[in-house]
Amino acid sequence: MEFYLEEGKQLNPNCSTLVLPALSIGNVGQLAVDLLISSLKAEKIGYLDEPNVLPCVGNDAYSPSPVGKLALPLEAYDSSSSAMTLVQQRSPVVKGMTIEYAKNIASFAAANGKNHVIILSSLDFGRWKNIDMSSGLQIYYLSSSNVDGTDTNCETRGWNRLQDYNPAQRTWKYLDALAEQGSVPDEDFSFEELEDEDYYPSLPFAALFSCFKAKGLKVTCLLCYCSEGDNIPEAFHLAEATSKLMGLSQNEFHGNGAGNWIIPFSWQSVYGPPPEMTLF
Amino acid sequence: MDDVITDIPPPSRFLLEDLNNFTPPPPPLPSPFLVFSSADSKKGFQPSLLIIAMSSPSLHFLHHLSSKTLVASLVLPEIPFAGNSVEPSLKDKSCNIYALNDAEKLIMIVLVQFSVTPERAHAVAKLLIGEKIIPERVLILDSVQSRNFRGKLPPDETIAFKLETSLERKNSDAGDSSLVKGLDYYPSGSIVDGLAAALLSRCQLKKIKGTLCVSWPDLGFPVMSLIKSLLVRDVFAGINYTTDGDYEDEYLRLSRRKDRIDSDLYT
Repeated sequence: MEFYLEEGKQLNPNCSTLVLPALSIGNVGQLAVDLLISSLKAEKIGYLDEPNVLPCVGNDAYSPSPVGKLALPLEAYDSSSSAMTLVQQRSPVVKGMTIEYAKNIASFAAANGKNHVIILSSLDFGRWKNIDMSSGLQIYYLSSSNVDGTDTNCETRGWNRLQDYNPAQRTWKYLDALAEQGSVPDEDFSFEELEDEDYYPSLPFAALFSCFKAKGLKVTCLLCYCSEGDNIPEAFHLAEATSKLMGLSQNEFHGNGAGNWIIPFSWQSVYGPPPEMTLF
Repeated sequence: MDDVITDIPPPSRFLLEDLNNFTPPPPPLPSPFLVFSSADSKKGFQPSLLIIAMSSPSLHFLHHLSSKTLVASLVLPEIPFAGNSVEPSLKDKSCNIYALNDAEKLIMIVLVQFSVTPERAHAVAKLLIGEKIIPERVLILDSVQSRNFRGKLPPDETIAFKLETSLERKNSDAGDSSLVKGLDYYPSGSIVDGLAAALLSRCQLKKIKGTLCVSWPDLGFPVMSLIKSLLVRDVFAGINYTTDGDYEDEYLRLSRRKDRIDSDLYT
């Protein structure tokens, strides 16, 4: 993975927190990062050239009147006021290369002075067990702060640690071994016999979690359950959780509506064009 | 009618294997490589303009330029040569690279006549731009992919859009004109993927002036006229070139044949 700076831009050493999405059901992490970039008016500082991410290009996703600023599949944005670098991923990882990608981006983060990484992802409602919905859409988390995945900061916000997380569980251990350079993972591990307990560590957020942890960085995964559909509400939820975790005030956001969020211009067509009216 | 069970899911949907860290990686493939027509060519090229054609109308028009010389071919090892003819033909599965004769400055043309998977696009783009071929400016011609376009694509209209690298846009903002004029930018929210995207990304990263032009539909006389007009008016202005054969009639026959094959009457 190579990092290319935009002309005239520099990496801000004060942006010590990295926020990035993990690919997940409903693309919720990516939508949340879009919302954060747009609302913080984060500045594009460069591109990550990663052969394990499929190519795509498009017009500027954020400006109200896009003037042709090229968007690439992996872009880095800085929000100096929030001390955050945000990386947006716009296309999938080459099948089977998620762990390679996770290692490469972890190396980028470590090499560029990041000391806290926040991974945004969603989980499939179809996999939930014993979820308490009495207090509305719940945020779950997984942290490297403690071995059991807990973090005091997250607990005081009323968030629950990812259910059934057990770092000694075979798949989590296998992931940790893969993430460590030079470590020899268990050759008897069979991919074809994944069971329920193997589901969460098989997801992309888990690969990122393990690889960032292996680099000695503090990692927090923020997660919410959803189904495929209109996942914009979940994106707001994750973005709000990120803002709370970072201790941001509403003044950091530049919108005029509730929460001062700015909807990215590209969201106008996120679900495709309107129906053909001649049908009616 | 789409089969919602077995068809490829829409772009925002992942298959289970896309979200599984333990999906086995694809079997490794040998790297693509360039074959040069003469020993001199191996030193490399610095064309003032590199045109990379992928859409049917652009392939058709540029193939029929008679004032060009074959200088190299890009080989993708997984694409067999079986069925290719000795002389370059539009029916070949090939990626030939030509130099346009009689141009004051070197103009090179790449005709991509095989399908490059998204997973191979990065490697192919690296080979075409920035190693043996270092262009000052790049023009990529591809078609709009309806699965990636979030607006309406009228079946009976011809449209085209462009995307440009920062340097090409800056060139235009500074008063020098864009290479491709009169086209709107690709609408925000829609994307272009595959080789065209890999090529334009490479231009952006390597700070090369680059333009991607995507047209719709992929076949038909109107879109051929649009692409031809764009090339003749904007790209080849002031350059001597000749075309061979009755390519317009040939293209019309090809378009009609494809229309019959694609017709829902025969599903």
